[in-house]
Amino acid sequence: MKTFLTLYVSNLKEFSRNRFAMFWTIAFPVFFMLLFGIIFSGESDTSYKVGVAVEDEGRIGSALTQAFEEVEILKVMEGQQDDLLAKLKHGDLNAVVVVPDGVTAAVMSGKTADIRVHYDPSIQITAQILLTIVEKVLGGVEQGLSGRTALFAIQTVTITASSLRTIDFLVPGILAMALMQLGIFATAPPLVQLREQQVLRRLGATPLTRTMLLAAQVSLRITVGLVQTALIILVGAQVFQVQIVGNLLLLAGFVVLGALSFVCLGYFMSAWGKTQEGINGASQFINFPMMFLSGLFFPVDTMPKWIRPVVDAMPLTYLADALRQIMVGATPLHPLATDLLVLVAWLVICAFLAVKFFRWE
Amino acid sequence: MSAIEVQDLKKAYGATKAVDGVSFAVGQGEIFGMLGPNGAGKTTTTEILEGLRLPDSGAVWVLGMDVAREPQKIKERIGVQLQTTALYPRLTVREVLDLFAAFYRGEKHSAGELIEMLNLGEKQHTRSMDLSGGQRQRLSVALALINKPEILFLDEPTTGLDPQARRSLWAVIRAVNRGGATVFLTTHYMDEAETLCQRVAVVDRGRIIALDSPQELIRQSFQETAIEFDQKGAKAPEGTFRGLKGVTRPAVRENGHVTIYTENAALTLGGLTDLAEAGKIQFDDLHLRRATLEDVFLKLTGKRIRE
Repeated sequence: MKTFLTLYVSNLKEFSRNRFAMFWTIAFPVFFMLLFGIIFSGESDTSYKVGVAVEDEGRIGSALTQAFEEVEILKVMEGQQDDLLAKLKHGDLNAVVVVPDGVTAAVMSGKTADIRVHYDPSIQITAQILLTIVEKVLGGVEQGLSGRTALFAIQTVTITASSLRTIDFLVPGILAMALMQLGIFATAPPLVQLREQQVLRRLGATPLTRTMLLAAQVSLRITVGLVQTALIILVGAQVFQVQIVGNLLLLAGFVVLGALSFVCLGYFMSAWGKTQEGINGASQFINFPMMFLSGLFFPVDTMPKWIRPVVDAMPLTYLADALRQIMVGATPLHPLATDLLVLVAWLVICAFLAVKFFRWE
Repeated sequence: MSAIEVQDLKKAYGATKAVDGVSFAVGQGEIFGMLGPNGAGKTTTTEILEGLRLPDSGAVWVLGMDVAREPQKIKERIGVQLQTTALYPRLTVREVLDLFAAFYRGEKHSAGELIEMLNLGEKQHTRSMDLSGGQRQRLSVALALINKPEILFLDEPTTGLDPQARRSLWAVIRAVNRGGATVFLTTHYMDEAETLCQRVAVVDRGRIIALDSPQELIRQSFQETAIEFDQKGAKAPEGTFRGLKGVTRPAVRENGHVTIYTENAALTLGGLTDLAEAGKIQFDDLHLRRATLEDVFLKLTGKRIRE
């Protein structure tokens, strides 16, 4: 036990003094989270630009303009129809509302009147908001004209999408990424370095058993995985008010399972890399596809269909899904039991490959 | 009982026979050296003795135990310094010593004792990656001594050290030996083998070509004295030195450097002076020396050890 502790502490010192490993496991996830958090925190300021061309002299035009201006998320620009439509085409405006000459007169005399709404169909939300407002305003004007209560009540149109903010979605994804990088960057390259510099061979000349050496190395990495989790949860809560809704023990269980799977993958990878340069390249080769094809930063269903089989094959997809469900109560991509099964299967496969191919020399 | 006993050891890497039928025994308390050029099979032999490699065939007993059967027990009682001195790069000298101490159960040297012994005091809080080659080598020897080993294995322990550091390391090795430890070392330095080892196995291409005390090896091969000089100007034609009085064998010429072996240095020198006076040769830096292990190696293999 004393041997184990000394070895564990020595490994901890060695690891914490390794800038490359520390960067990828500790600094990078936090940096990533801050960066993404800042980019997406500006989301609520997003506004839609609407051009209004009033050609009518009557009340409807001014009433509409006023109504639009009262909606917070709309930025209203008044102008000539032609100019505004040109701006819409260039993408400077999201929609243009045209109130043609004679609308008020037509409505007053009880005839139908056309109000045209031009919009960019890629931004459905704008169109929906505008159409709702136009209807309300016209309804109000009609009521006023017909002598009944002549007031139009404009309601603020709120968009109720998921209550999960982007940052809530991202934080578990970043934790999953951090656990993967723990296995890839903080396991394989240091091991190759130890082997390349014959540290493993030197240790082999002492009575130290390989089992003991492995146990110390793996427990160190699980410790690091739990530290990453705590750090990411802390930064998420303090900086971005991300609430952890799930059971912390269950979360720790999945973190350990995920860390183990990827650490085993790291051991397996280290068998292939002969030199440090080689293994660094190989690490990036595994890191990037995993990072971007496992739904860490954007939902899996926004990806093209043909790439789904790849996504479904990535163990990180399941780890991210499980963490997301537990941490922020996100809509499951797979049932938690499926995530668990797939991760255990990956652990078994990686452990088998690691044991089969890992080389001490 | 011998400290080490090796019988007909063989190890090949592909078509290369690294160790090709080596047998020898090392007595307890002896300083035993394996002398040979790089690639002669010294390191492979050493690593088999240390339990780091398995031989293709042959038998090895260390401290009376079969290396193939009881490697763990043996490792507990031996100390090992590898040729490539690498350690946890980001641990300090003291931390590495403490770590290695934790691997052994029996009586141990404290980190402080070893730091003192190998003169690492100033560097004890330096990370091993920041040590100079010589300092790293000393740390590596310190690690080999940590469990007060009965046999100390040193693979080219003074390679890359400056002359002063070599001498102080030799002193450490002698002190450890006086304390009762058997020392097994490999080297390609003639002077190291000659001054440090009680017996030397001269190896070349995986075989032992001579084995005895350095003095005996020299005495058996050479009754002669070597005369060495650098030739200036035109090279004397082949056979010029053969006819000189006292010369026992063909001269060895390496570029302008000539070695003549003689059983009567005075007569040969007289002959050389005559040649010079007659204007047939010009020489520089002429000196006499007794034969060394280098000459033994040259005679046995036809080449110098450090080619």
